[in-house]
Amino acid sequence: MPWSLLDKCCEKCWHSPKTPCPDFINCSLSGPLCHSDEECAKKRKTRLEQLQHGEKGAKIKVPWTSCTLATGAEAVYQAVVDYISKRGLDITVSISGCYGLDFIDPWLEFVTKGMPTAIYANVKENSVPKLIERYFLDQDVSGAFALKEKTGNAKGEDEVPLLSELDFWRKQYRWVSRNCGIVDPESLEEYIASGGYKGLSRALKMGPDAVIDEIQKSGLRGRGGAGFPTGLKWRITRQQRGTPKYAIANADEGDPGAFMNRLLAESDPFRIVEGLTIAGYAVGASRGFIFVRAEKPLMARRLQRAVEEARKYGLLGTNILGSGFNFDIEVILSAGAFVCGEETALIAAIEGKRAWPRQRPPYPAEKGLWGQPTVINNVETLAHVATIMAEGAEKFAALGSDRTKGTKMFCVTGAVKRTGAYEVPIGVTIRILVEELAGGAPDGVKIKAVQIGGPSGGCIPASLLDLQVDYETLQSAGAIMGSGGVVAISDENCMVDVAKFFLTFTSAESCGKCMPCRVGLRVMWSILDKITQGKGQEEDLEVLKQLAETVRSTSLCALGGTAPNPVLSTLRYFMDEYEAHIKKGVCPANVCAALVTYLIDEDMCIGCGQCAMNCPANAISKLASGKYRIDQSLCVKCGTCYVVCPVRAVKKTSCSGGGGNG
Amino acid sequence: MVKVKIDGVTIEVEPGTSVLAAAEKAGLRIPHLCVVKGIYEGASCRLCLVKTPTGRLFPACAYYVYRDEEFISDSLDLRIERKVNFEFILKFHRMECWLCPRKGNCLLAKLSKELAVEGTPVCAECPLSPEECLLTKGVPCLGPITLSGCDAECVESGGPCWGCRGPISRVDVLENAFSRYRELGIDTETILRKADIFWNSLPEFEVVKKVFNRVRTS
Amino acid sequence: MEGSRRDEVDCASIDDLFQGLRREPHNLLEALRRVQSRYGYLPLEGIKKAAEYVGVPLAQAYSVATFYHQYSLEPVGKYRILVCMGTACHLRGNSLNIEFLRSVLGLKPGQKTTSDGIFSVEEARCFGCCGLAPVVMIQRPEGKNEIVGKANARTLRAIIAKYRRLEGGAG
Ligand SMILES: Cc1cc2nc3c(=O)[nH]c(=O)nc-3n(C[C@H](O)[C@H](O)[C@H](O)COP(=O)(O)O)c2cc1C
Ligand code: SF4
Ligand code: SF4
Ligand code: FES
Repeated sequence: MPWSLLDKCCEKCWHSPKTPCPDFINCSLSGPLCHSDEECAKKRKTRLEQLQHGEKGAKIKVPWTSCTLATGAEAVYQAVVDYISKRGLDITVSISGCYGLDFIDPWLEFVTKGMPTAIYANVKENSVPKLIERYFLDQDVSGAFALKEKTGNAKGEDEVPLLSELDFWRKQYRWVSRNCGIVDPESLEEYIASGGYKGLSRALKMGPDAVIDEIQKSGLRGRGGAGFPTGLKWRITRQQRGTPKYAIANADEGDPGAFMNRLLAESDPFRIVEGLTIAGYAVGASRGFIFVRAEKPLMARRLQRAVEEARKYGLLGTNILGSGFNFDIEVILSAGAFVCGEETALIAAIEGKRAWPRQRPPYPAEKGLWGQPTVINNVETLAHVATIMAEGAEKFAALGSDRTKGTKMFCVTGAVKRTGAYEVPIGVTIRILVEELAGGAPDGVKIKAVQIGGPSGGCIPASLLDLQVDYETLQSAGAIMGSGGVVAISDENCMVDVAKFFLTFTSAESCGKCMPCRVGLRVMWSILDKITQGKGQEEDLEVLKQLAETVRSTSLCALGGTAPNPVLSTLRYFMDEYEAHIKKGVCPANVCAALVTYLIDEDMCIGCGQCAMNCPANAISKLASGKYRIDQSLCVKCGTCYVVCPVRAVKKTSCSGGGGNG
Repeated sequence: MVKVKIDGVTIEVEPGTSVLAAAEKAGLRIPHLCVVKGIYEGASCRLCLVKTPTGRLFPACAYYVYRDEEFISDSLDLRIERKVNFEFILKFHRMECWLCPRKGNCLLAKLSKELAVEGTPVCAECPLSPEECLLTKGVPCLGPITLSGCDAECVESGGPCWGCRGPISRVDVLENAFSRYRELGIDTETILRKADIFWNSLPEFEVVKKVFNRVRTS
Repeated sequence: MEGSRRDEVDCASIDDLFQGLRREPHNLLEALRRVQSRYGYLPLEGIKKAAEYVGVPLAQAYSVATFYHQYSLEPVGKYRILVCMGTACHLRGNSLNIEFLRSVLGLKPGQKTTSDGIFSVEEARCFGCCGLAPVVMIQRPEGKNEIVGKANARTLRAIIAKYRRLEGGAG
């Protein structure tokens, strides 16, 4: 093992978890501070240089996160290691987090002194040897996806664009995700080398009240959905008399289509641990918890490891950095329930109970975990906290809109060319997110709506794409910012079906404690189901609105309180689609199974038989002409033939009169 | 002590008292169902809703007052929300009231009346136990398919129900009632003829006939 | 019938499972998870042991075991096929995929596991890999997961055939 920045530089250094030095963080970067020794200073410089380019002057970074692993990063990693050892090359292989650009997964990054750092996109394991040879041996960067800088030393530099010039990078402001894809998420040393833990050491010197002032000055609002001012929440918790107090990081990211918390925690877990430690310090808590969603085990493992590392170097535990502040963190894995994200339910889950929310007030700040004052923050909020404490409130407050400061990560998915997580200053328009960052709709389809805020959010029509993303603006348009999931919906999707989909989700995830949510959502669902079957009546829409109103205003927690939003917003903007289902018995987007018929266009059919082979109902048979035909009485309308037909000879039609009333 | 003002009535209570308890002390009734002090205070039924002057809704049973506060416990919108929530509760209640031993002493029936929800049959208010039920004696009583709210006056005075409050329109209740009639050998044609006296021109009566017809033929 | 199947599991040696876990009520979720990961589901005896170990009444342990999605009170298939029902996956066709899987495996409505106990098909919540939508994940018995991105009828048929072959059956 080479010497690390976290190790003692010489005998004179006296930092250890038992005898903590308040200047440990600064000293490990620009030290030594307590003694002067040329050797020791040089050691640090060399090490920082090593971290940049690898110990051997050349480095390959493989992203090791859920999204890249799902696309084969493990095999790529293996291929890299195999090839390097086979050729006996002097290259360090390290893992890193992910840039959040899902469309380039899995990617590789090659770093070496004197050459531009190059990123390769959509790497297959069998192309690894060729890529390594070309870059490291031929010093040729052609074929790379993007370069981080230009040096003029490598071949092919002109053909490859600079990362910072590409739209999806240029338009971002990477503030809290600054380390994602850059550092090794399992190395505390790299985190500190990139400026980590500066925030905590600064906070500990300022004192809790000044920390809260600083956060209030920054204008930070919770990124978990409701947008409550974080500083205010902390102040209320701090003012409570009861002890002990607790601090919780809400990492139960459950909104379908949102993965920014996972990305942050898998790519830069120490930032969250640091943020939670600062929160604990500010409110006077002694114990912290990170509650992680069950479906995201890698996120839990990364955070667990980060906690252990931090503990090992005295950044958690007793007398942290000599400040007299004692704090430790436990990582807890959920067992799967969307409602756990609700703060009072999350507390019940940590206590080992059914995740049932309870009526607020009292708020967790007054009576939370085990009846004690508790502060709960989203992990992105906490990552912001760590960054703000390191960089200063002013820098953060300079970003964003008038009402809401700073940046926010958004996950853009659905009908777009470049799925990914993008960080932008709050207040940019939806259009920038969907069209400029995510590249707009794939060829052949058009975006007709954007769903923002997950199951609690709403659908905004394409005509309102110029709205700013900001808590208040979105709310007045019938959506919410929520956790920041943005799903582009194309004209191939039916809005009634989309509304029904969200109700399927929320009614299945309702904890069942209170009446409006448990029963009301099911009743609303069955009305929508009736409409998608073409059996709806015009009165149904009025009833739907009334029920939605009751569920919204009388549910116990915000799950029920926001669940009607997708229905209300589609009713508001896409009435025509509801009416087509009800009055004409037609699904304009050809989605609702009961209203759709599958037909094979015999002129287009090439007789390959794919459809018949895959039809689960054996509804497709060969005609004497060699073409295929669907027997409508057997067809279960699964749509498989439509998907598998190589020449798109299978057509969907929505004929009127299919059980309609109109 | 803190002062709570509910619908204009002010009352002093210990800090930490629920709005519901305060209202009771003041002699005001707020409809409620799920709360049992000390046993369940989870605020599930959402019937006891009260409104703050700023328009926010809270369940009276689980809102505890620590400072002087003001609430509204009765208004048109509160009544609507309560009613809809109560309908949600009834949605999954089988309502075979003619078989239920709690007859005449039923909280759901009382709340139905209080909240003007048309859901429960007269049997829910009937004083006779299931064993004494007129149907078991072969009397064609319209109780199972008639809306409650009359405190079963007719049965109280010795006769069967004549259906004067109109028919129930919940299909599953009608189906169950039909099976009960058939099970006890009561001619459903007689029942419909009897119902025709009061229900003749009601559109809801058509629903009853349709359901009976369907069950008969299936 | 169900019952006898549950009791077959020998939970006598279950205690070593809880090693290192503090006997505190808030560890109930973790204790149940360990039982589930050993047996593939939660046998009644296992719930009892977990409750006893962390010191909560059986009623509370049972209420927790029935609440969270990850716990199953019934044995599940050797290969659990989890079909993501997140927004992006829904919009890109996973509701069709799940129907396809169910009919190919011959599952009746309400049936989760094939009668030979090899596959079970379940709806799952968003895995956070929306870029690959629609996503299907196969949980293998050794704990490794295979993620199938951009799934459609053809790829799914191939996957099922692959695991059938592994099980020595006909393709
Ligand atoms: C149904 C439901 C799900 C929620 N899910 C999450 C979640 O996944 N992550 C999160 O941070 N907050 C979630 N919240 C919001 C939390 O209750 C809480 O407001 C938040 O953690 C506060 O942190 P913040 O102030 O940093 O935003 C959810 C709320 C509800 C009602
Ligand atoms: S609103 Fe839904 S999730 Fe929230 S407490 Fe009520 S039933 Fe549970
Ligand atoms: S829609 Fe499904 S059932 Fe109908 S013909 Fe196509 S593959 Fe067969
Ligand atoms: S009595 Fe049920 S919510 Fe108050």
